[in-house]
Amino acid sequence: MSSLLELEELNVWFDLPRGGTLHAVQGVSLTLDRGERLGLVGESGSGKSTTVLGLLGLLPPTATLSGRCLLNGVDILAEGEETVRPHRWVDLAIVFQGAMNALNPVQTVSSQIVEALELHGLATGRQAKARVGELLESVGIPRDRGDRFPHEFSGGMRQRAAIAMALACNPSVLVADEPTTALDVMVQAQILELLDALCRDFGLALLLVTHDLPVVAQLCDRAAVMYAGEIVEQGPVEELFHDPRHPYTRLLFAATPDLYGEGVPVSIPGTPPRLDRTLEGCPFHTRCDRSFSRCKDERPVLREVAGGRSAACHLNDVPAEVA
Amino acid sequence: MRGADYVIKRVAFAVITVFIALVLNFALFRLAPGSAVTNLSRVPHATPETKHAIAKQFGLDKSKGEQFVIYLKQLARGNMGISFENSQPVSKNLRTALSNTLPMVGLGTLFAIVFGTLTGVIAAWRRGTTTEHVTIATALGFYAMPTHWLALMLVIIFAGVFPSGGMVDDFLIDPTWFQHVKDVLYHMTLPASTLALVLYGEYTLIVRSAMLETLGEDYILTARAKGLKPRAIVRKHALRNALLPITTLIAISLGYIVAGSILVETVFSWPGIGRAVYQAVLQRDYPMLQGAFLVLVLSVVFFNLVADLLYFKLDPRIAE
Amino acid sequence: MSLLLQEPGLLAGDRPARSRTGLLWDVIKNQPSATIGAVILGIFIVLAVLAPVLAPYGLHEQVGPVYGHPSWAHPLGLDDGGIDMVTLLMWGARISLVVGFAATFVSMVIGGTVGLVSGYFGGRTDTVLMRITDYFLAIPDVPLMIVVAAIWGPSLFHIIVVIGVLLWTGTARVVRAQVMSVRERAYVKRARSLGAGDLRIILRHVLPQISPILIASTVLTIAVAIFDETALAFLGLGDPSRISLGKIIENAFQRTAISSGAWWAIVPPGAAVALLILSCSMIGRAMEDALNPRLRVSHLSAKGFRLRPLVGRGPDAV
Repeated sequence: MSSLLELEELNVWFDLPRGGTLHAVQGVSLTLDRGERLGLVGESGSGKSTTVLGLLGLLPPTATLSGRCLLNGVDILAEGEETVRPHRWVDLAIVFQGAMNALNPVQTVSSQIVEALELHGLATGRQAKARVGELLESVGIPRDRGDRFPHEFSGGMRQRAAIAMALACNPSVLVADEPTTALDVMVQAQILELLDALCRDFGLALLLVTHDLPVVAQLCDRAAVMYAGEIVEQGPVEELFHDPRHPYTRLLFAATPDLYGEGVPVSIPGTPPRLDRTLEGCPFHTRCDRSFSRCKDERPVLREVAGGRSAACHLNDVPAEVA
Repeated sequence: MRGADYVIKRVAFAVITVFIALVLNFALFRLAPGSAVTNLSRVPHATPETKHAIAKQFGLDKSKGEQFVIYLKQLARGNMGISFENSQPVSKNLRTALSNTLPMVGLGTLFAIVFGTLTGVIAAWRRGTTTEHVTIATALGFYAMPTHWLALMLVIIFAGVFPSGGMVDDFLIDPTWFQHVKDVLYHMTLPASTLALVLYGEYTLIVRSAMLETLGEDYILTARAKGLKPRAIVRKHALRNALLPITTLIAISLGYIVAGSILVETVFSWPGIGRAVYQAVLQRDYPMLQGAFLVLVLSVVFFNLVADLLYFKLDPRIAE
Repeated sequence: MSLLLQEPGLLAGDRPARSRTGLLWDVIKNQPSATIGAVILGIFIVLAVLAPVLAPYGLHEQVGPVYGHPSWAHPLGLDDGGIDMVTLLMWGARISLVVGFAATFVSMVIGGTVGLVSGYFGGRTDTVLMRITDYFLAIPDVPLMIVVAAIWGPSLFHIIVVIGVLLWTGTARVVRAQVMSVRERAYVKRARSLGAGDLRIILRHVLPQISPILIASTVLTIAVAIFDETALAFLGLGDPSRISLGKIIENAFQRTAISSGAWWAIVPPGAAVALLILSCSMIGRAMEDALNPRLRVSHLSAKGFRLRPLVGRGPDAV
């Protein structure tokens, strides 16, 4: 049972400016097999971005991390920055949100891709430039545009360039953190198609972070739903949609407007809990429509509820009463 | 040409500012009530012929409007009147003064920029550590010290080690070029150091906040994700980008440099533009004051323009 | 340090924040640098205001020889007129502070108004006013101050006006930026759609929102005003009938304190000015930091993130 990527019990705490800590990620575990596509879903503040930044060791100095991240069986987080850095980009590459200025504004796009190639010893000089041209074309950008600066690209093209750069060193895992947020709907569709095609053609595993369920439905085989820093349910996307085992999952899918459906989108009342304090009971119980007495006192544990699926909800212990 | 209109706009701005300065200069010195200030021909110890010549040159009997035009014409010829103090042409005095000021101020500013940038980067890099707090405290300390007071402090501390007055040793007879340069540098040490220390404080703070701003940008995170080592990231990405706000802010400090040089030259009797201003004020030498003021303003406008163009070269986004 | 994490569910700008004039007090209480600054400034103000009562000797009273050495009776020695330095410093601080505050008041009024009008009305008014501000900024202020003071004549009033009229640009810019952001907020638009007049909106909605940044800018301007006063006094352009800290330094300089070895005539007054400028700077910067949400997390630092051995839930569980 050797998955490509195994995240074990990741915990992230942030120091707060006025003292105390924020427990942003609470015991998150994930597995990703070769070529598999996993969606990490949740609302803002659920800890999904922090999780993927954590597994790449890209956290700020105010963060404290615990847990293991096994890449082909080797714990890359063992010694922190020193053990994780050699794997960046060559094994695990990341694409950030399109709205971010993830590309250095004072350098040309191709020079930034060349930097990745030269840094990891894959190519230099003319070879590197040729490779950059290939990469750009594979994402649909004309070769010669590489010598332009990022501000001369549209949002969608910048995102394509970022994807090209991420593929430069032939990683086995591509992490995409909200890759289509802040892009036009039309451009979103293009980017998603691109990701789909590239992952297929290059046999990449994809870890897709998003709050947008239709995106997960389109691209991913499996999904993990995060709430208040922990995973509350995970399993194949289809089953999550048809047979959710956690009220949050169910409400999340219900909250998504369906173009052809007759249902009225239901928004979930209330707000997520504060993570700077330890919580009593289930983090979701104040907003849950099916909570009962046990939910207030006892925190549910993520357990397997069916083949390949797990959920953290007391309702799964009550035989007849499931979602 | 890329961004041609940006360049044109900045040059136009500089030109208009110069014009405003000229108007201001004229207004302040020729429109004041009473003739103590306005009468350029009141040169003490001058012959009546000279006085008469000046009055004619500057059309002191004509209307104010005509005088302004004449003023501009004379300025174009480099004629700024005669100094009340040493009866020499103002422009000649100023030229000597400027050539004395530039090396001293230049040296001090250069050191301040180099060391200020160094400590600023270190402070940003070691954020939250004692090093940072000490660096900031020191920088703030130097920044808060009045320039002339710091100058006097240095005189007191280094009395006997470095000369505390003048630019050259009057007793050095017939020095070789090398001896002369050494002598000047020796005299330059304290005034340049004073300026350097005061500016260093300000620059450290500027560079630190520019670096912190830059280090919070997303492309830094990308660089880190690509596998670059921290030092390489600072060198290749952070510093290059931080140069932009740093250039702007250093340009803003030009006014501060001017004020500082006036005070430093006064304390150390350095025969530059700053001291020329001081002496002109002391001796009510209005032509000199008028000329020196103009030169100072022009220098600031010039260097600001240089900074604008530098910024333009550094930032590819300015083309729009 | 600014707040790094927003509280979930609270979107800034949705409704007016609580009255922010308490921010100054907040910052002073919570930021150690501001606390120190406020304490130092407070001490100076108290000493200066109560100088007539607290000064140990008379301001014009010769109590010893020229440049008398420091002693128990006179901890900071005597100046060239035999006058006690401690007394001089207290009276000097008085004038320096008066000039500093008064000039800043002038510049705050001008700058605040310009910024307010420019930011609120926008359009042509804004363009014109900002152009004027730009030109004001382009002319170096100290030489201009020197020239005007030299021509106009040295008097306290002149000095205050000259400094005030040249320092307003920073405040104007900062206020304008803030007004422009407040102008777009939901509750202002609502008020306008309900028919509230401009003046009413400005007084009730805009002013309270810009007062924190105005105060921060003002405090920083005080530091500059004090410096400018000492510079002008040093160059002989201060009011000859008043003793300010700058004048004390100038006197010492003119009357050969250094060659007489009387460091006590020079070091204390300058140190006092430095402390005043430092304390105002610390308070101002702390306020700016608190108001400026742009100071985000640095992605890079000498220290990296920390590791903790594998634990269960909670940082204290083993």
